[in-house]
Amino acid sequence: MNRERIASAISVALHAAVLLWALISFSGKALDATPVDSLPVDLVSADQFSKMMKGQKDAPKKEQPAPLVEKLAEEPPKPIEEPKPKVVEKKQEIAPQPAAAPPEAAPPPDAIAEKLKKEPPKQEAKVDPKPVPPKKLDKPQPKFDADKIAALLDKRDPQRHVATGEVPNLAPALGASQGNDKRLSQSEIDALRARLMSLWNPPVGIQDPEKFVIRIRLQLNRDGKLAAPPAVLTSGDGQLFASARDSAIRAVFRAQPFDMLRRETYDTWKDIEVTFDPRDMFRG
Amino acid sequence: MNPADMAQSVLPLTSSDLSLFTLFWHAHWIVKAVMLGLLGCSVWVWAIAIDKLVLYGRTRRGMDRFEQAFWSGQSLEELYRSLSAKPAHSMAAIFVGAMREWKRSFESTSRSFAGLQTRIEKVMDVAIAREVERLERRLLVLATVGSAGPFIGLFGTVWGIMTSFQSIAASKNTSLAVVAPGIAEALFATAIGLVAAIPATIFYNKFASEVNKQAQRLEGFADEFAAILSRQIDERGVG
Repeated sequence: MNRERIASAISVALHAAVLLWALISFSGKALDATPVDSLPVDLVSADQFSKMMKGQKDAPKKEQPAPLVEKLAEEPPKPIEEPKPKVVEKKQEIAPQPAAAPPEAAPPPDAIAEKLKKEPPKQEAKVDPKPVPPKKLDKPQPKFDADKIAALLDKRDPQRHVATGEVPNLAPALGASQGNDKRLSQSEIDALRARLMSLWNPPVGIQDPEKFVIRIRLQLNRDGKLAAPPAVLTSGDGQLFASARDSAIRAVFRAQPFDMLRRETYDTWKDIEVTFDPRDMFRG
Repeated sequence: MNPADMAQSVLPLTSSDLSLFTLFWHAHWIVKAVMLGLLGCSVWVWAIAIDKLVLYGRTRRGMDRFEQAFWSGQSLEELYRSLSAKPAHSMAAIFVGAMREWKRSFESTSRSFAGLQTRIEKVMDVAIAREVERLERRLLVLATVGSAGPFIGLFGTVWGIMTSFQSIAASKNTSLAVVAPGIAEALFATAIGLVAAIPATIFYNKFASEVNKQAQRLEGFADEFAAILSRQIDERGVG
């Protein structure tokens, strides 16, 4: 049928047009995703974190850490001379001697005898007016001048050791901006607190928990055990406070040795105070 | 072998060229067949739709013209003579069929009025059925494409996603660059299915109601004409 053929042709033409448009409009533009800059993340373990020294995170990195120097040296330290082969030197020293020495070294025995004969009268004559200062010996001795001893003394603190070098090391070391090695790390404090809290049984049903806050002073040995009986620093009254306090003391005894504390930081925890707060317990 | 290289070798389609043609070209042959089939369906649907739009418009205008001529007071004999010369459609076809039967009954030697009424109604029913059949021919294609198109597209999608999972398994790499081409081609199949199915459904609903309306109109005319002829038969039979 003619009409149907026309309709089919129109339909085909329509689809061709739509496809052509789609081909043109969909192609071409590539979707470029600009890569995001990667953020460097440092993973620091708890141990490293607590041992961090103060420094600047963005300090320039040095190829070789400069030696720790506080004072400029007057002159650069002399490079160590390479030991030369001694045999050659000796030969060089010895070699000229045979040429020059024989005339002097071996004077005729008559001449010495003559000199010896001549000298005695000289000595006698010279001794009288003034004593001749002792002549130099063959070896040059180190000079010893008592007046100059003071100049040689270092008047600074004898304990002090100052390294000297060409360049004083002024650059800060790499590290966190807040680092303090010689302190208990938070993880150690938390571990200690958790240990004590798990062992402490405060009386249940207390009305005012703030009245049952107990501070205990602990003096510890290097091995983490108590050096002295724990001292209770807070006071209160009533049966309940007494039982809470006793429980806290028992907890301290049972918790030892405190091996969560590092030996290296013994100075910081040899004498510490611990707070037992019932509100921390019931807070969950 | 580097996973990235492997992904390149498994699927040479990179994210940089997702044009329509490459999308089609790198698809599995089953997905290609689905896409081509759906494209053919779309072409066919639109051909039918254009054809039917023209047909229904022409039919409606023809009916309007015929009704105008019919009720203009013109003699039915004259109208029949002018219409029977050329093949007629719709209302004219019904009128011509009924008039032919009427004339045959009168022109034959044995005047048989007894069954004339029934015969005329039969003839008009057959004419109406033929006209309705002509109007709703190939509408079923639209209905089929409208309902099955999304499913066919979905089949292509499922196949494409299977391909993309196979490429994940082959390259042992779950990055988007490995998965994306397969999914893009899969979704393209569904898109073509929807593009074919949506117009098909809309046209089918529109044309079904149109056919219904025109059939009602034909029925109405047939009843009216039957009433007129019945009155004539009674008058002549009595006379």
